[in-house]
Amino acid sequence: MTMTTKDGAGTPGEPQPDEPRAGRLGAYWAGVTAVVGMEMRQRMRSRGWYVMLAIWFVIIALVTWLTWWSWSSQSSFQAGGPDGNHAGPGSLIFEIVMAFVLLFGLLVAPAFSANAVNGDRAAGTLAIMQVTLLRPGQILWGKFLASWIAGLAFLVVSTPFLLFGILQGGLGAGHILVALLMLAIELGVVCALGVGISALANRPLFSIVVTYLVVAALSVGTLIAFGLGAMVSHGTVMANQTFYKGGYSAITPEDLGPDGQAARPTPPAGITDQNADYACYGPLREYQSVRTDRVAWILAMNPFVVVADSIPYSPRPGSDYSPTGAFETISQGARVAQAGPAATYPCADGKVTPAYLTPKTPLWPLGLGLQLLLAGGVLALGWRALRTPAGKLPKGTRVA
Amino acid sequence: MRKRGRAPARQGEVLELMESEVFNGLAAVGVSRSFGDVHAVVSMDLQAPAGEVTALIGPNGAGKTTLLLMLASLLAPDAGTVRIMGIDPSRNPAAARAKIGWMPDTLGVWEALTAREILSAMGRFYQLPKAAIPARVIELLALVNLSDLADQKARVLSRGQQQRLSLARALIHDPQVLLLDEPASGLDPGSRVALRQILRGLAAAGKAVVVSSHVLAELDEIADRAVFVNAGRTVLAQTVQQAATQGRRYSISALDAQVLEAALARLGVPFRAGTGRRESVSVEVGGETQASALLCDLMVEGVEVCSFAPASGALEETYMSMDVEQR
Repeated sequence: MTMTTKDGAGTPGEPQPDEPRAGRLGAYWAGVTAVVGMEMRQRMRSRGWYVMLAIWFVIIALVTWLTWWSWSSQSSFQAGGPDGNHAGPGSLIFEIVMAFVLLFGLLVAPAFSANAVNGDRAAGTLAIMQVTLLRPGQILWGKFLASWIAGLAFLVVSTPFLLFGILQGGLGAGHILVALLMLAIELGVVCALGVGISALANRPLFSIVVTYLVVAALSVGTLIAFGLGAMVSHGTVMANQTFYKGGYSAITPEDLGPDGQAARPTPPAGITDQNADYACYGPLREYQSVRTDRVAWILAMNPFVVVADSIPYSPRPGSDYSPTGAFETISQGARVAQAGPAATYPCADGKVTPAYLTPKTPLWPLGLGLQLLLAGGVLALGWRALRTPAGKLPKGTRVA
Repeated sequence: MRKRGRAPARQGEVLELMESEVFNGLAAVGVSRSFGDVHAVVSMDLQAPAGEVTALIGPNGAGKTTLLLMLASLLAPDAGTVRIMGIDPSRNPAAARAKIGWMPDTLGVWEALTAREILSAMGRFYQLPKAAIPARVIELLALVNLSDLADQKARVLSRGQQQRLSLARALIHDPQVLLLDEPASGLDPGSRVALRQILRGLAAAGKAVVVSSHVLAELDEIADRAVFVNAGRTVLAQTVQQAATQGRRYSISALDAQVLEAALARLGVPFRAGTGRRESVSVEVGGETQASALLCDLMVEGVEVCSFAPASGALEETYMSMDVEQR
């Protein structure tokens, strides 16, 4: 070992801001990228990550193949061949693959985000970062971005299958871009939750479990809460009588009149509104109804609802158009809940309700907003826990 | 008893310190910190002037690490003040941190990264100019003798090598104040000598160096002064010079032990049998002058003295004479 402590030419005396051109924001960002770079380097070197990616790839491939296989066997059974007037399986494969990607993403994201901070604390490396010029926000942002990027790798691995779904037909590029973007954002929300919780909790195992519980609360708990909430949120709706006109196909020969005309039931008087199927008539009265619109915000927080609702669907012509795809069905269901009885109860306010709700006020911005609020709140609490010099410490915490 | 006796003097030092606005180095006055019911640090004073190595000595659980965490700006003290080159780390952590290099007792290495990558990342965390980082990293790797292992993952480094890497990490931004928590533990003798040289070199370059350690014999050579702590309190602060001149035990052995014992009895020097492997006696001596006088007397008495040396290091002597209680 040689003695070279005397300040040499290259020795930096005082730490200076990175570059003169970089402003305060630039310097802040430089710190964040330094943390991201370091985190990514470590993640890229862990074998577990690649194993997880490989398992992921295989599972998604399996799901895609099974979907395609079941569709093709079904369509050949029905139409005697994959031609005919069937829409391609594109929408089906794409949606199922996407649902799985979201599901697995929600399952995997906590695993590589929820030990980001307290794992470092356990290894004794967190304090070493805290004692540098890094600010707590830079550490937190860096760790969040690194775990998000790691999560996006899973999305990238699954793109071949999403592309396969697209190539099978029927979907626009915008459709797919929106879906991928929303999947990425949902992964980001879970990663933010995980990193924030890991800054708050002492032990990695605990924070990972808590993050899983939060994810479960978002994807399953919201459904239960919505259901229970709807049961207790009774309300009334003003509506009048409904008169179903009946379809010609349902008319039996007995109903035919002597002149061969269908003896159609005579419409009642005082029709306020009508469409091909039914008419509304009579005075408005109060009816008991479930006010789902009051608890729809709970449903909106569901990641599946957010993704499904954000995808733009173009309703095909025809008043009786009903949604075809799985995601579109979810979206419609959520919007029905959001609209509440005022829009969905037959003849509410004396008006005919449309079978298909056109996206006037989409639900997903509310849901995503609530999710971001939650994730942001947890991150803010995590930021508080990372501030140094540390004042109060949670019990059992060792700084280093 | 000792503490009460010394209290006025310390009070005087404290006042002096508060008066001089900027103390060149590191100063902690009346610092305390508790975790729940545990009073880790009750009231500690520490001054580490620039250009000197200050040893922080105390039994396990005395509060050394907690004090260092407060000095390193990671923990906020409940009471008392910390000044790093006149900067209050609670008020202006960024300015204080630019001047602090901290080496924790837990190694805390990023195992998947190489030594070079770790040091480069630290350089970026300290906002060093990007262009200067690679050269600085090479310089530090050479300093701690890890140049050959620069591109090995930290995982494969031995404990002592990781310790050296940790030291290099603390030095990356050329800090004015160095806080080293047990830097010598796990080091082989060669590395200890090298560490000693590095620390003396840093002190010579005008840095304030604080070292906590148990290896007391080592500290005699490294430290200029020592602060003894026990049960969360500063018990004593002395320079090594003072420690060396205080009364201490000397171990003497002669070719004929009986002749030696007879001579000591004639001279009226109380002695007792030594604790070492060799047949020796140990005597209490007032200081170095008295020691050399005793050696002369023994020569005059015709004792064939073959070894005459302090029984223990100067700081160890002080440490052992304190009533340390371990927690």
